[in-house]
Amino acid sequence: MDNFQRFATQVRNHLLLMMLASNGLIILGWWVGVEVFHANPSGLLFLSITLAVALSLLIATVSTTYLTKPVRLVSQAIMHVSPDSANVPAPELKSSPLGMELVTNLVTHIYQLSSVVAEVEKAAGKQPHNLGADFVANSLPLPLLVLDKEQNVLFANKAAAMYLKREVQDITGQNVYSVLDMSFAAAPTFDKWLAEAKTNKAVASKRWEHVKAAIPAENITRQFDLAAYFNQSNPEGYETLLVFFDHTKQYEKDDQGLGFLALAVHELRSPVTLLRGYIEAFEDELDGKLDPELTDFMHKMKASAQKLSSFINNILDVSRIETDRLTLKLHEESWPDIVKAAVDDISLRARLHGVEIEVTITDNLPTVGVDRVGMYEVVSNLLDNAIKYSGQSKKIVVSAGLSNEGLVQTTVQDFGVGIPVSIMPNLFEKFYRSHRSKEQVGGTGLGLYLSKAIVEAHGGHIWVQSKEGQGSVFGFTVVPYAQLAETSKAGDNKDIVRGAHGWIKNHSLYRG
Amino acid sequence: MDSQPPSRARKILCVEDERFISELYVRALTKAGYQVVVEQDGQKALELARTNQFDIILLDLMIPTITGIDVLRQLRGAGQKPLKSKIVITTNLEQREDIRADIEKQADAYLVKAEITPKELVAFLDTIK
Repeated sequence: MDNFQRFATQVRNHLLLMMLASNGLIILGWWVGVEVFHANPSGLLFLSITLAVALSLLIATVSTTYLTKPVRLVSQAIMHVSPDSANVPAPELKSSPLGMELVTNLVTHIYQLSSVVAEVEKAAGKQPHNLGADFVANSLPLPLLVLDKEQNVLFANKAAAMYLKREVQDITGQNVYSVLDMSFAAAPTFDKWLAEAKTNKAVASKRWEHVKAAIPAENITRQFDLAAYFNQSNPEGYETLLVFFDHTKQYEKDDQGLGFLALAVHELRSPVTLLRGYIEAFEDELDGKLDPELTDFMHKMKASAQKLSSFINNILDVSRIETDRLTLKLHEESWPDIVKAAVDDISLRARLHGVEIEVTITDNLPTVGVDRVGMYEVVSNLLDNAIKYSGQSKKIVVSAGLSNEGLVQTTVQDFGVGIPVSIMPNLFEKFYRSHRSKEQVGGTGLGLYLSKAIVEAHGGHIWVQSKEGQGSVFGFTVVPYAQLAETSKAGDNKDIVRGAHGWIKNHSLYRG
Repeated sequence: MDSQPPSRARKILCVEDERFISELYVRALTKAGYQVVVEQDGQKALELARTNQFDIILLDLMIPTITGIDVLRQLRGAGQKPLKSKIVITTNLEQREDIRADIEKQADAYLVKAEITPKELVAFLDTIK
């Protein structure tokens, strides 16, 4: 420490000089007293003491100001850069001849350190602000983001950084949609809600359940409930607050189908498997040996077990629709093929009921973009209903053609009992059947609900017209493949995957 | 290897831990001329599959010691010695679509037991060559 040595020497020299001067003056005073004034010893002693005290006071005062100057300059430099004391001016270094080098050196360091702190703060996007609020936000175990009016992240707490597997400084200043690629189970998505709040509300809040966000860095998906609070007029520009409630484990468990339903289905299916197996074994062994009534019972038992098996599948389909996990793979298909396949497979049953199915399909229908299994189920469901509710009538008419909107439209018409006006509005709800139909015909009460979900997932529309005593017409539309491919921009990819409702993507900067 | 008559009975390994179900399958399969070995345990089934030449392996997924998915992976996964046996998954478990798609890639067929009767199973196996 050269500078420091030099400073110490300067201080020592100064003090030495002062002491020498002081002692010299006292001796001079003594000499003057003896030689000039011939003072007596006691007067001389008094004079010397007075002079010594006066000189000490003078030296102390002068030296203090002089010697503490460097400390004062350093402390002024510290106060100058401190955010808590904004009015202190920068120190004037040339005003201190003592320890000039040391002071200059220390002050330079202070300014350097201060600029490093400023850099760090800037990098962390942290405007030096309310430490209390920071403490609360960072101690909060829930991930939290604060957005400004441009949806840029003004503040992310430590929990948010950990949750998103990124550093706080990588998140702050970024657009929220580039930080978070969210998908929602139901509309409105966060971006839609925020846009709506910005135009119509001063203050708004909302909570979403089961939101998904991909964390690309770790190749994982977070699943959470999200709460948002919006305040248009916050003076500091803190417009939107987002809080995340993580439920990844629970929602993943549901996703893997290891929830209650999947296990219940497994347990239900085992006895159904056995029942169907045993019934078949009995049927084999007893065929031709039973009287007609018992043979009839055997057939009914077999049909019931089979119905139970399809009912379990229907429940699964409903659950998939309601949890957005029914996925449909849309391929280019010939529509008459699907309709004819469904009609062929059910015509034997129709004949047993004494009903003939008449099929009219317009020539040269365009190919359609559908999930073959799903659409087969829709046509079969409608035909099955038509047979069940045909009553005394002997005919069902299936027609397919192009609608005015260029969609492929299919209708299934029966001339049977028809549907009472009172139950028409609820017809497509699950488990909805009129009391009368429950007694007279079988069914799971899920067919029309599933058909509607499947048709709508295809982008189509399903409807019914009916008059009691005259019969019913069920109709639905499907989209031609060319039109679907165009809107989906599928290009050469022949597979288009659809969800029943589909996860609705939030606006995302990741989207290409 | 023993010399086999040209129209020998096809050998099936039925990996199934529910005894009532395996009884029904054995009954229907033997009636149709198949030769059936039943195993309840995943680990043992894996060893049997490796040491015997089964034509078809019926594989349940929820079985003791190691799951059917593990058995399938160890028989069909990357780096495994190719196995001639056809593997037919027979389960009542409902899989998530993507998991099911993965299983279907490695197995030769995927059947839900509640949806088929033993005779329908036999009819299906007759089509697998």
